[in-house]
Amino acid sequence: MTRGIGWGLLLLAVAWSGAVIAQSDSDLSLIPPDSQSPPKVNDGRAGQNIYLENALTAVSLRDDLPVPAQPSYDWQERLLLDARNTWSVDPTTRLVFSDRFNVRAESDLSLPEKESLVNDLREAYLEWRLADETYLALGRINLKSGIALGYNPTDYFKTRTVSEPLSADPTVLREDRLGTVMLRLQHIGPRGSVTVAFAPRLRRQSPIYSNTGLSSFDPMLGRTNSDNRFLLKSTLALAPNLSPEMLIYHDSRDTRVGFNLSLTLGQSVVAYVEESAARRQDLIAQALDFGRATGALPAGAPDEPPPSGRSLKNELAVGASYTTPGRITWNFEYHLNQAGFTAADWSRWFAIGSVSGGPAALSNELWYIRGYAQDQQEQGTQQAAFVRADWTAASGLNLELSGFANVDLRDGSGQAQGEADYYLSDAWTLGLLAAGDFGSRKSDFGSLPSACSVLLSVRRYF
Amino acid sequence: MTITSRNWRLWVALGCALVACAPAPAADTAPEIIARTDQVRNPQQPFHTTVTLIEYVSGRARDQDTLAVFAKLDPQTHQFRNLVQYVAPPRDAGKRVLLGGGALWFYDPASKASVRISPAQQLVGQAAIGDVLTVNLSADYNPTLLGTEGIEDAGRTQRKCWHLQMKAADDLATYSRVEYWVEQGTYLPIKAEFYSDSGRLLKIAYYRGFSSILGRTRPTQTIIIDAVDKSLATVATSTDYGYQDIPDTWFQRDYLPHLETR
Repeated sequence: MTRGIGWGLLLLAVAWSGAVIAQSDSDLSLIPPDSQSPPKVNDGRAGQNIYLENALTAVSLRDDLPVPAQPSYDWQERLLLDARNTWSVDPTTRLVFSDRFNVRAESDLSLPEKESLVNDLREAYLEWRLADETYLALGRINLKSGIALGYNPTDYFKTRTVSEPLSADPTVLREDRLGTVMLRLQHIGPRGSVTVAFAPRLRRQSPIYSNTGLSSFDPMLGRTNSDNRFLLKSTLALAPNLSPEMLIYHDSRDTRVGFNLSLTLGQSVVAYVEESAARRQDLIAQALDFGRATGALPAGAPDEPPPSGRSLKNELAVGASYTTPGRITWNFEYHLNQAGFTAADWSRWFAIGSVSGGPAALSNELWYIRGYAQDQQEQGTQQAAFVRADWTAASGLNLELSGFANVDLRDGSGQAQGEADYYLSDAWTLGLLAAGDFGSRKSDFGSLPSACSVLLSVRRYF
Repeated sequence: MTITSRNWRLWVALGCALVACAPAPAADTAPEIIARTDQVRNPQQPFHTTVTLIEYVSGRARDQDTLAVFAKLDPQTHQFRNLVQYVAPPRDAGKRVLLGGGALWFYDPASKASVRISPAQQLVGQAAIGDVLTVNLSADYNPTLLGTEGIEDAGRTQRKCWHLQMKAADDLATYSRVEYWVEQGTYLPIKAEFYSDSGRLLKIAYYRGFSSILGRTRPTQTIIIDAVDKSLATVATSTDYGYQDIPDTWFQRDYLPHLETR
């Protein structure tokens, strides 16, 4: 009996080991045969990113708008040279430079015009390391704050900075923006960091630009440095997974207080919240004041829709990301802007704008308010939902797919966009982007002049 | 009986079975084995290395990425903190990933934005971020010694190994369960299998390229095979190792924009 058990165990062990080896053999055969030789290490430059891109956009415009709007282009062709670089001047000093030079033609621009050539100087600053992890920077700096993907209430230096983006994707908007001339002092310690920034007023505030009114080589300081602005922010590493950031921002209009906080939950989920609060005017009042001050609206322009007074207004972005086993990362966010259009504001906006034969000046004013919100990178409506999906390196196809939808929770209208980037090689990328606005005719996104657009691009990295 | 390659493996299997029946040396407990293997895989002093990742599809190289990795052990958690910078291809150059204190941050110099990401988010190819970062497995997993086995390594050389099963000790572990084969005596990692919460085999890793690095023999290459789509594999090769003084402040998210580029 014992002998029988012994033989049985031996046979079982052999069978089991055979299975192990068979499994092992099978696994070993999956090793790429030519992967043994050491790879040629690509000696790239991490501080440099230069590319040339050609982008052709076709736009389908709506012809039955509820509120008449200025005509827009229905095609655009752009050739752009984008360059970022960092140079070490000496062991404690570095120079940071970021610029985009555009050559463009579009249906509402006759060639050649000065607007055909536009240079966006995004960043140019010197940074000194004063002591261990204490940095002083001076120049045009893109100071970004906030952790949400679709909307950043605490990104106080985002206002008026976006320059002719190729995409409505919020992550792209952050790339195509101008920095602000400022002095920034930052100290980073083992328990957190403190940043102080001062951006001086250097120019009178400029009117909201249009794509047919851009200057060719103007740094456009009237957009980024038309007010004295201060920012104090601090990150505290309270616990390994907990490092909130608190911010205080001040300019001549108001003082804002904000915070952002994120948490990793397990292997696949990140939850985050970003909040800013201030006692301030609503969007309509700000837009009308700005329009009158810059001459874009006549001094006697009516208060339409009627703005509300100053009060405490919150901006909030709360959301979570989730990465699926299929390697798709989803972001779901809820956005609140209490300064944005209320349901009554929207009703009024459509009611007075839809009057047949109404004055053109009034419809211009109505669109001006919405253009102001876009220029300020502020959410126009009070409540919105945002969802985004990213699928990188889809099944080894050298393909990156992404898409997002931004929905006004009041009327269910929204904006959706899908994008595919195909990496022909390390140097060449082909891109296809399709975007569309959906919703009823008298809705937030359904009332926009653009119905849908398609963009084809080819990009060459150097 | 003619000895063919197929039944030759059977004889090897028989030999392995006999080896498998042999008891493991009593001096090595599972935690000790994992701790010593961690020391083999990763220098315990702050160091930098360059990791080249090549993605293979059906055996053909498809994509290559190069990363600069800076790693430093946290004396409190006994886990590594990592700072990773993309060096190539040019479209990704300058992007950075930070693992510090259990949080992962991704920084894109184009947008100047630091976004918190989860360990499951894909870095490149079949490698999740958790695969590429330097980690001490002993800090994240509870190991059990299952026995001793003879297995073939990536070069089809027989290795006498401990077979360990490791279960996630906390949420910081990338995988729910890891089957791990460590060569006896040298503590070299030979093979690993990574499983999901549901028990599904996700990835198979082989270690090879054993070379003398910073004072001891270490693996310099990891082959990560996608167990779900077996036509996909990623080979991670580490080169240019060096000890480096890395201040703790490097592992704050606000340091990401200041990382000196190479």
